[in-house]
Amino acid sequence: MSWRPTALNVSFLTLAGWALFLGLLTGRADLVVIAVPLIVALAAGRRTAAPSPVQIHHAVSAERVLEDERLTVTVTIRAEGAAPLVELLEPLPPRVELERGSHHAFFSLRAGEEVGWEFVLRCGSRQRLRLGGPHVRLWGPLGLAAGEARFRAPQTVAVYPHLTSLRHPPRPVRTQTYVGNHVSPAQGEGIEPGDIRPFAPGDHVRHVNWRATLRHGALHVTQHHHERNADVVLLLDTLSDVGPPGASVVDAAVRGAADLAAAYLARKDRVGLIEYGGQLRWVKPGSGRAQFQRLLDTLLDASVVFTYVTRDLDLVPPRILPPQALVLALSPLLDARFVRAAGDLTARGFDLVVIAVSPAPAARAAVRPGPVADLAARLWDLERRAELDAHRRRGLSIVSWDGVGPLDAALASLRRPRLRRTLAR
Amino acid sequence: MMRLAAAVLVAILVGFPVAVMPGPPVTWLAAVALVVAGAGVALLSVTLVTVGASLALIAHTIALVIVQAAVDPVAAIGVAVTLVILLALVHFADRVHGAALGPGVIATQVRQWTAIVAAGALAATTLTMVAALLGAALATATLPMVVATAALGALLAVAGVIALTTREDPPRVS
Repeated sequence: MSWRPTALNVSFLTLAGWALFLGLLTGRADLVVIAVPLIVALAAGRRTAAPSPVQIHHAVSAERVLEDERLTVTVTIRAEGAAPLVELLEPLPPRVELERGSHHAFFSLRAGEEVGWEFVLRCGSRQRLRLGGPHVRLWGPLGLAAGEARFRAPQTVAVYPHLTSLRHPPRPVRTQTYVGNHVSPAQGEGIEPGDIRPFAPGDHVRHVNWRATLRHGALHVTQHHHERNADVVLLLDTLSDVGPPGASVVDAAVRGAADLAAAYLARKDRVGLIEYGGQLRWVKPGSGRAQFQRLLDTLLDASVVFTYVTRDLDLVPPRILPPQALVLALSPLLDARFVRAAGDLTARGFDLVVIAVSPAPAARAAVRPGPVADLAARLWDLERRAELDAHRRRGLSIVSWDGVGPLDAALASLRRPRLRRTLAR
Repeated sequence: MMRLAAAVLVAILVGFPVAVMPGPPVTWLAAVALVVAGAGVALLSVTLVTVGASLALIAHTIALVIVQAAVDPVAAIGVAVTLVILLALVHFADRVHGAALGPGVIATQVRQWTAIVAAGALAATTLTMVAALLGAALATATLPMVVATAALGALLAVAGVIALTTREDPPRVS
């Protein structure tokens, strides 16, 4: 760090020059006297010694937060020598608001003195928040000289999408072999009652159905359904996006995907993720908290990447997209490539549910409100309903969601087929 | 608060020429200076304040020339002190606008400004006294020679200050 003159020197020089010029022009000594304190101030403001080093410690309250959660940034400054005026400025990343305090502060430090500075940020939307550390500026007397430096302490904070609990996520048609919360068509040990059949040697006495036994005059037992888990694959469309950053269709879809992942993982299901966009990324189906973290981390980076290359879902290996899995596609259905891919999955016999995230609210947020915008939105809505109906007629199971309201309410309208006994394990 | 203090300083600065000659054209020029410097204070613009202060200085000169007032070093030092504090205050207010101020920042600044202004006033007083002594000693010298010497001295002083303030230090790693 080194001292540099500031623009204030020009003001002092101008006034000193005026005073000297007018003094010489008029031959008045008192005007020359006016210039003297100005020149003394210029000389006093001049710094030659190196600025005293300042030590800065920069810390954040959390490395992972949810949307709209608060993040406290703490900066501790310690001066080796006296620093009459230290200016600190922490640039705010986009989509982050200052909740409390100020990200710009001035301090006056004596030699060896340590002060703390704290401010609270509100993280608006999902992102990898990068805080690079504050800019430091030391001011000389009268602000005539300043030394600048950047304290680099890059810290990344993951801002995950806000989670809303889902009470009724779409029920999978096919179940897997492991124990879970879904009633399997297969009969065996479980608590969900199934068919009634005549008693056979080896049956437990506690399974005897006494009402049927009395009616038929012979022992009958109640069979039970297995409770099994399911494979769920979330298919996220990042081929197109509408709306401002933080409130776009992809952001809404990511929030929905996170909610669905949390709901299914809580039901002991295995959940995977495929990001279908300019780059094809996936997470293998799995269960547990570690899997949820993996999914959230992948969702955090979901964004539209432009490419001319169209990748087919055939490229996705079966261990990522198991044939028995329930596929939940979150898409605005604006890109024909995604509609084609969804149609292919349905044709290949996948249990596919498309959650059509409406781009209208996101688009409305990006344009100025007015009667023309209202009319355009209504026309677009009509057009979109017609398109969705056409897709439904082609066999796609579609749920329309505005991306703003609760996803649970949108999913309530979904009618699911009964469990398939023939395909169940 | 800092705007109010700067506004008071602007009023004092404009009051100097009006006190010397309370009539046109000084009052007109002082009014323009007041408006420009006042706008600078309101907008926390050092440039506008400099322009307004320059106009006030010109108005002061005109007032002194028209009235043919006796040389008053005390008033001159007062004008200079007002100018220094006004510029420093507006610049500081502009920098800290919207920022958090730690404990002791204002007090430290006021101490610094006071020390520099006191040094400036002392230097001006000393130079005035030296000039008075020199004036008595050089009473027989011809006026053109004195004027030429003074102009050369002033030019050298300004050049020295410009060189001092615009020279860049070699970068140091701290």
